[in-house]
Amino acid sequence: MALEELSNALADSVEHAAQSLVRVEARRRLPATGIVWSADGLIVTAHHVVTRDEDITVGLPNGERVSADLVGRDPHTDLAILRAHAEGLTAATWADLDAARIGHIVLAVGRPGTSPQATLGIISALGDSWRAPSGGSIERYLQTDVVMYPGFSGGPLIDVNGHALGMNTSSLVRGVSVALPGNTISRVADTLVQHGRMRQGYLGVGVQPVRLPEELQQELDQETGLLIMNVAKGSPAAHAELLMGDTIVTFDGMAVRQMDDLLSALSGDKIGTEVPVTIIRGGEIREAAVTIGDKE
Amino acid sequence: MSEILQRINADSAQAVARAHQVLVRVSSGRGWRRGAGSGVVWSTDGLIVTNGHVVRGEDYVDVWLPTNARHRARVLGLATNYDLALLKVDAAGLVAIEPGDSANIRTGSVVFGAGHPWGVLGAVTSGVVIGVGADLPERPDNGQEWVAVSLHYRPGHSGGPLVDVSGRLIGINTMMAGPNVGLAVPAHIVTRFVEKVLETAAAA
Repeated sequence: MALEELSNALADSVEHAAQSLVRVEARRRLPATGIVWSADGLIVTAHHVVTRDEDITVGLPNGERVSADLVGRDPHTDLAILRAHAEGLTAATWADLDAARIGHIVLAVGRPGTSPQATLGIISALGDSWRAPSGGSIERYLQTDVVMYPGFSGGPLIDVNGHALGMNTSSLVRGVSVALPGNTISRVADTLVQHGRMRQGYLGVGVQPVRLPEELQQELDQETGLLIMNVAKGSPAAHAELLMGDTIVTFDGMAVRQMDDLLSALSGDKIGTEVPVTIIRGGEIREAAVTIGDKE
Repeated sequence: MSEILQRINADSAQAVARAHQVLVRVSSGRGWRRGAGSGVVWSTDGLIVTNGHVVRGEDYVDVWLPTNARHRARVLGLATNYDLALLKVDAAGLVAIEPGDSANIRTGSVVFGAGHPWGVLGAVTSGVVIGVGADLPERPDNGQEWVAVSLHYRPGHSGGPLVDVSGRLIGINTMMAGPNVGLAVPAHIVTRFVEKVLETAAAA
């Protein structure tokens, strides 16, 4: 019977995912969910459900409760990493998101209580990289129609094999079920484990988008750039002798049309590297070089 | 396109057909106070299970069997903590529900809820089991066991059957807990309730 097979397969998927599903007690009232990231105790969960930095408890799949430390958090992607004082955990298996298609059956699983809970839906939309309202740059857009029950944030969105496609969070986009894809989690988790925080490149300028003069628009093939409103003393921009009134048009070889372009170019992995900058000063195009700083 | 979805549709229709065979309509009170809900045929000789709140404290209620024949039903027993009522109609040879293994229903498995939401007769909704037991999201915090399902129960669903993929009873549709969680009284609790009412009746 096909329907019975489907029903059992869904329950099997939940059972598989539940091996790596933990309860996260790090806020008042309702606990939330976390995913076992590594066998030696790293747990990924949602930043917004970890409202305190200490006195965090993790409920393991075997019913045990262990204390956990906050390794780091990134409010921009709503991700937090905990280290539970436990070993020999079962790390979640992650699905290849490239194989996911719109219409595929997915489940959201959570463990706000002791036993796993689940709900069903389909993938509603899949897209390329995007920037969340909270500012985080996210590798893939993954939207579903699953209903997020209280305490499901921080839990995995799983496919029909029980493999995680992403982490569910109700706060990345309000009112829409959007999951944080596995490759974003991997990138942010690596940085948080290594540095304890997300690193963001630093330039030291205040800017605003402006329309370029007609003739420069044609020459540069772009309509807008970023006008420098101020330059912080001793900042990388000051060292590169950028001035108030300059207009940035390219940065590290990429056209800069709006704020987002510059923010994307100032990613954490570029800290300490020297990159070329094209500016307009007094109506003329000039080249400069700036060494990207670390925004503490 | 693969056949799998057609097969699933056919199997779903079969499970729903079994739920329809045991689904009754229950009406209590008079005039503007008249309330309507659903019920389940529990035994071939006319025992009917519904929600306590559908009966509204009356001693007799009206029941429409799946054949649409109207019967006067006597209220044999009530369990206020689980919101259950046992009714008896004078009938024989009915198709009775087969209780399923509600104590071991798996999280994520497919279920169907049948009833008469907003008076729409025999309407069916489907979803999955969110969780089972006393430890559930947005549950009434009194330690009672429930089957939580991803169904939107509406007025008129109350007392109707929640069935598994084979059309066996998993629970009695009872209420919403929060905007998106439907709660049903597990079938094994219903079985216990019916046995207790019949024992009490026999002793009296």
